[in-house]
Amino acid sequence: MTRILIILFLFAFSPLSLAQQAGKGLTKLPDVTAAPDFVLNDLDGNQYRLSDYLKQVVIINFWATWCPPCRAEMPSMQRAWELLEKEGILMFGIDVGEDEDTIFQFTANYPVEFPLLMDTDSKVIDQWPVRGLPTTFVVDPKGKIVYRAIGGREWDDPALLALVRALKQ
Amino acid sequence: MSDFQTVYPRHSVFKYCLILGFFGASPLPGPVSAEVITGEEQQTGLRTWEWSEAGISVQLVQRLPDQTRAFFQGRGFSSEDADSIAKACVFQTIFRNDGEQPLTYDLDDWKVDYRGKALPLHTRARWDEKWQVGRASEAARIAFRWSLLPTRQRFEPGDYNWGMTSFGLLPGETFDLTLNIRINDHLITRSIPDIVCTADQPGNQP
Repeated sequence: MTRILIILFLFAFSPLSLAQQAGKGLTKLPDVTAAPDFVLNDLDGNQYRLSDYLKQVVIINFWATWCPPCRAEMPSMQRAWELLEKEGILMFGIDVGEDEDTIFQFTANYPVEFPLLMDTDSKVIDQWPVRGLPTTFVVDPKGKIVYRAIGGREWDDPALLALVRALKQ
Repeated sequence: MSDFQTVYPRHSVFKYCLILGFFGASPLPGPVSAEVITGEEQQTGLRTWEWSEAGISVQLVQRLPDQTRAFFQGRGFSSEDADSIAKACVFQTIFRNDGEQPLTYDLDDWKVDYRGKALPLHTRARWDEKWQVGRASEAARIAFRWSLLPTRQRFEPGDYNWGMTSFGLLPGETFDLTLNIRINDHLITRSIPDIVCTADQPGNQP
């Protein structure tokens, strides 16, 4: 037990670990607002319009390849996607300000299967309540923003997934 | 009273309570128990300053000017513009709220204490003015904007941001940083002393 507590202390309080830890929880927003609609392309030129996915729960993650916590949470987002896709829950990663070549190179090291959309001129992110990257929102089947997370998360955490799944009902 | 409700996974709450309980962290804004820890990465020699109190932390990590030049040139800035950023005392900054209360901050309320003067940080708006009259491309300006720590932010418990902060001093200069943070509408002011802007390497200017 002593050894476990020492390890916990070192992990929790070393500067390096503070920088690398994921954030915790999802913030339930007090003023439920409509998610701003967007039309964006993925790397293959497929077009996605958010309003086409009303009646589904949608996780929307704003990110960039150069952003360390964005990179850190990508593997857990992929693991979450593997669980949620078959349940009809959607996930979009919206890259801010970069071109498809940059994102394509990124996916060589961080392979993900959920749609990566390109907000090249940042017009979409400017319509969402985002101040820093990464920021992630969970939109309910009525098109309302219900949850927000600033900073990376472990998205395959069963407790987080339970909150997302609960919005389906 | 917060307008927000943060929903935690149960085991995270347990871990958090365990850590707080075990190490006796005090809630803010109570008696001052601020602590600044400094460190140095062995391989790079880059130094770090970390203030933490009741689960809230601000960590500053030195960036080599050449590292900053390369980053912004890679995002589309000219060598001259990238050099002007690199010489503005840039740190990687990690601001976390692992405490129990929501917090807000405004970097325009923070001060660089340098040789008896209180100077403002170089925030997004200040840099935007520079880019308006410069030649930086839209893509470069977008990358720059989002790579800086947000000027204003509200963190619920569990939130955090990484981002660069720029203090506008020349490489090698030393300063104190005054932080102002509102925790559940109570303003606290703390200081991180003797922060050193990374020295530039000879011959690395464009």
